[in-house]
Amino acid sequence: MTKVQLPLSKKESRLYMAFMWVTYISLLIGGLMGLLQTLVRSGKYTLPFNIDYYTILTVHGVILGLVLTTFFIIGFQFSLMGKTVGISDKQLKVAWLSFWVMLIGTIMAAVTILVGEASVLYTFYAPLRAHPAFYIGLALVIIGSWIAAFVNFRQLYVWKKAHKGEKSPLPAFMVIINMLMWFIATIGVATSVLVLFIPWSLGYAETINVLLSRTLFWYFGHPLVYFWLLPAYMAWYVVIPKIIGGKLFSDALARMAFILLLMFSIPVGFHHQLTEPGIDPTWKFIQVVLTFMVVIPSLMTAFSIFATFETTGRRKGFKSLFGWFKKLPWKDVRFLAPFIGMAAFIPGGAGGIVNASHQMNALVHNTIWITGHFHLTAATTVILTFFGITYWLVPHLTGRRLTPRLNKLGIIQTFIWTFGMTIMSGSMHIQGLLGGPRRSSFSEYAGGEQVATWINYQIAQAVGGTILFIGILLMVYIFIQLTFFAPRGVQEYPIAVEEDDAEPTPKILENWYLWIGITIALILFAYTIPVIDILKHSPPGSLPFDWPIGR
Amino acid sequence: MGKRNTVQHQPNPHESTHSLKGTFIAVMLLGVFILVSWFGFYALFLSR
Ligand code: HEM
Ligand SMILES: [Cu+2]
Repeated sequence: MTKVQLPLSKKESRLYMAFMWVTYISLLIGGLMGLLQTLVRSGKYTLPFNIDYYTILTVHGVILGLVLTTFFIIGFQFSLMGKTVGISDKQLKVAWLSFWVMLIGTIMAAVTILVGEASVLYTFYAPLRAHPAFYIGLALVIIGSWIAAFVNFRQLYVWKKAHKGEKSPLPAFMVIINMLMWFIATIGVATSVLVLFIPWSLGYAETINVLLSRTLFWYFGHPLVYFWLLPAYMAWYVVIPKIIGGKLFSDALARMAFILLLMFSIPVGFHHQLTEPGIDPTWKFIQVVLTFMVVIPSLMTAFSIFATFETTGRRKGFKSLFGWFKKLPWKDVRFLAPFIGMAAFIPGGAGGIVNASHQMNALVHNTIWITGHFHLTAATTVILTFFGITYWLVPHLTGRRLTPRLNKLGIIQTFIWTFGMTIMSGSMHIQGLLGGPRRSSFSEYAGGEQVATWINYQIAQAVGGTILFIGILLMVYIFIQLTFFAPRGVQEYPIAVEEDDAEPTPKILENWYLWIGITIALILFAYTIPVIDILKHSPPGSLPFDWPIGR
Repeated sequence: MGKRNTVQHQPNPHESTHSLKGTFIAVMLLGVFILVSWFGFYALFLSR
């Protein structure tokens, strides 16, 4: 990893910026829906023009959970590949193809939802039925992302051929792991959409196997959250050390953590189906055990981050036990935003362990606690890290600079987000423990003592949501400034290098056959028998339902 | 793990700065936090 960085050409930068544009437009649209949801749930506001709550909730989940994340990640990862292994003109053309296929799919799905033909929420659980255009749009987004994945694989392959015997640059290695995971995982949801949902929504198939469709969804759904998280980890491992003036803590540890995340992210989907009848509890137990294995790479990551902070601080001469902590660059938003993201991952991760524990899952399943949980993990940890990347990536791509004024606005943005999310996510967690349901428009549920305890928390969520929406407006403003108006200049693309005396990275860490082999073996182990069970013993399939929500 | 570089190591002036005590304690505290919160929610589960 001693290589000099490759410059990004104007042509390349334009592609990476295209992905950023979709990201920030999505943030604005999705964020507005989020605000409306909290307002409706406060009981003091009703949507105009007869718009259905579940329509806007579907827009919110799809646009933020699926679209924003995928576009940002693929764009950011392309830039990492461009910086470290390069992209050829031909690869760039195919990369543009991936962008357009994804965008067309997004627009198809979004329009279908907005006209009220697909109010099925982002999980599109059967037997709720959406218009076929919704499923076809989603399939196009996935296919477009596969094109991007294959361009990435090709980029590393070409580089490897030109650099025989050298280890791949760490960022490129990480991108390949994430895209491998994404590819293996999306095969599940693509199968479900193409084989089960599209024929059924078109009327060619009369019924659908509900349990099978949900199982295929969650085979994809858990790796989905790791697909969001890994790019944040990339920034924590290779970008943050550079920003704080340090070096990579350990190349081998970082690679090992990513490999473990690849192996243990997929054979675990049952932890989302713990209340599902029709799945043998033994296999739920096995998948829960596999789920808990992610504690290992997570704590490895925490260790590595603390170690980078401490080593860097001590180099600068801080002797006391935690003296190095105070001297981190708190006034640099490129550090502060991802740092708060990391901090949010502590309660976020702890909550995740609670969710995955079968008994306690019964306490929180389908309550708004879950929503509070992923607004900490996805909408804080991941999103604040993505914002942190934006502050240097966008000006790097547009040939501008992050000025002190924009840096300061970024810091204000970070505080607004933290404050708003603490209120919103905190009250969601508490309301969930009191039994408040998620995915629910405002309702008094025919009264009752328990219901009466919820409303104040829903009002608190509206307060937090309003603050968050202000944060979104500010972030979009910063994005536009960095794109068009910031002064011209050179903004560094921060990638940390290894310590001079670093041990060589063991070759086995790049033995792709081995790691992919173990990953597939674990998946076959965790899913073969229960899926055969599901296929053999399912009750009759279900006809489509367009009510109470659907089309 | 891989074999060590055969190049003779210069005495490293930073060697003494390589203490990772703070890191160790921080990671342990993290583990404690996770365990305490897990048992806390488990107690809540049992009490219901
Ligand atoms: C202004 C900021 C935001 C607000 C006010 C907000 C508010 C909400 C609310 C109230 C819900 C739950 C509604 C219900 O269950 O009935 C929700 C769900 C959700 N939010 Fe957000 N959110 C915001 C930002 C985000 C961001 C940035 C992301 C993703 C990165 C995100 C992802 C999701 C997802 C995936 C759901 C689940 C939808 C579903 O259950 O179908 N949100 N949001
Ligand atoms: Cu999961």
